[in-house]
Amino acid sequence: MSHIHFPDGVLPVWLWASGFIVAILIGTLLLRLTKKEELTRRLPLLGMMAAVMVLGASVEIVPIAYHVNLTVISGILLGPSLLFLATFVVNIILALFGHGGITVIGLNTLVLSIEGVAGYFLFRFFWRLLRRLTFAAFFATFLALAISTFAMIGVVSLGTSHYEELIHQEKGGIIGFEFGKEKETHPTGALPEKEVNLKRFISIILPLGFIGWVLEGIITVLVARYIQRLRPDLLRLTG
Amino acid sequence: MIQLSYLDYSAVERKSFLHRLSPTLKIIGMVVVLFVIVTARNLPGLFLLYGILLTLFFTARVPAKIFSLTLYPLIFAFLFIFLSGFQIFFILLIFLKVLCGSTGVVLLLACTPYPSIFSALGRVLPSSFVMALFLTYRSIFILLTVLENTQNALYLRGGIQWRHPWRSLINISNAFGHLIIQGIGASEKMYESMVLRGFDGKIHYRGEQ
Repeated sequence: MSHIHFPDGVLPVWLWASGFIVAILIGTLLLRLTKKEELTRRLPLLGMMAAVMVLGASVEIVPIAYHVNLTVISGILLGPSLLFLATFVVNIILALFGHGGITVIGLNTLVLSIEGVAGYFLFRFFWRLLRRLTFAAFFATFLALAISTFAMIGVVSLGTSHYEELIHQEKGGIIGFEFGKEKETHPTGALPEKEVNLKRFISIILPLGFIGWVLEGIITVLVARYIQRLRPDLLRLTG
Repeated sequence: MIQLSYLDYSAVERKSFLHRLSPTLKIIGMVVVLFVIVTARNLPGLFLLYGILLTLFFTARVPAKIFSLTLYPLIFAFLFIFLSGFQIFFILLIFLKVLCGSTGVVLLLACTPYPSIFSALGRVLPSSFVMALFLTYRSIFILLTVLENTQNALYLRGGIQWRHPWRSLINISNAFGHLIIQGIGASEKMYESMVLRGFDGKIHYRGEQ
């Protein structure tokens, strides 16, 4: 749910351009801060985890328009800085398949990175607190997805006035759509009725999102337990 | 995503005027399409753009099977119906923008081999980033093979049964876990073989000096 599936041309230019600028700045900073040898050595792993995320995102649960992101498990395995670069790459590839617009890559990278980084730190926190992999992985995933979904809603709400502007562009439409439609007249001085229904959007997103958070939480737990059985070194759990 | 290999096959094997065009020109063309999508606010303009893209799609001899990929993003577009307050103009505007974007991108990928796209991008993006893109794309193909084998094994052993959702969920999650472990193993092997072949932190494309 947290992945912004907006096509190009819907979000205001200032919003997606800011997303790109911030994502590029963070990406450049991380590339500079990471040692070149370390980055070169871990690039194949980054590529592989990014590919896992791409494959996860392509498994669509159609009735609720949800797909697993696997960002939290990737965050746990990659660490915060490599995860940011991985989500950038993932969003570029997903956008190339029409999964969210190309202009939304920057914003999607930020939202998904919030999810992965929050998931990484929450997992470490819950592990230290509970010492139970199942609970740590579930709560970390559930909370990280909730945080990123609210971040996504925040981003969407920033463009409200722009969507209203788009809706009121109808005068440029073709004849077929004006046919049979009564002419609307607004009394002088009266404000036009708000067409964008953000509350309805949120009331659709949150219940569907909740199902998704629980589902992805369970999947992350099961994946983490499978990894712990076969390659516990990958989880880097102490104690 | 399974159609990815078919898309790649189409980009390499098919021959049309669009396949022969320089990758840089095609990327510039995609940027122009994006610019129109971002700025266009009327339906006739977007209909016209979609018409042009469809004409290019079918004259470039791109396999019709791939066309379904351009419709895939519509699954997500339905959320806008709720955001818009059921305004037909807005819904059509969004759907057309979605279709124009996806058709343009699928057309680019179906007519341009991915090393050529990454090579063109390498001129403007940092090399480590382009390399990450390249390795991710390569890894998708490796993982698709693992996924296909795992999926077959699951089906043959009755691993996915809708009458037993919990058992099926455990098996699907184990398949993802298996995919991750196999993927990490493959990435370690890939790195070792790249180093053995003289990998120095940058991938050189054919034709580069």
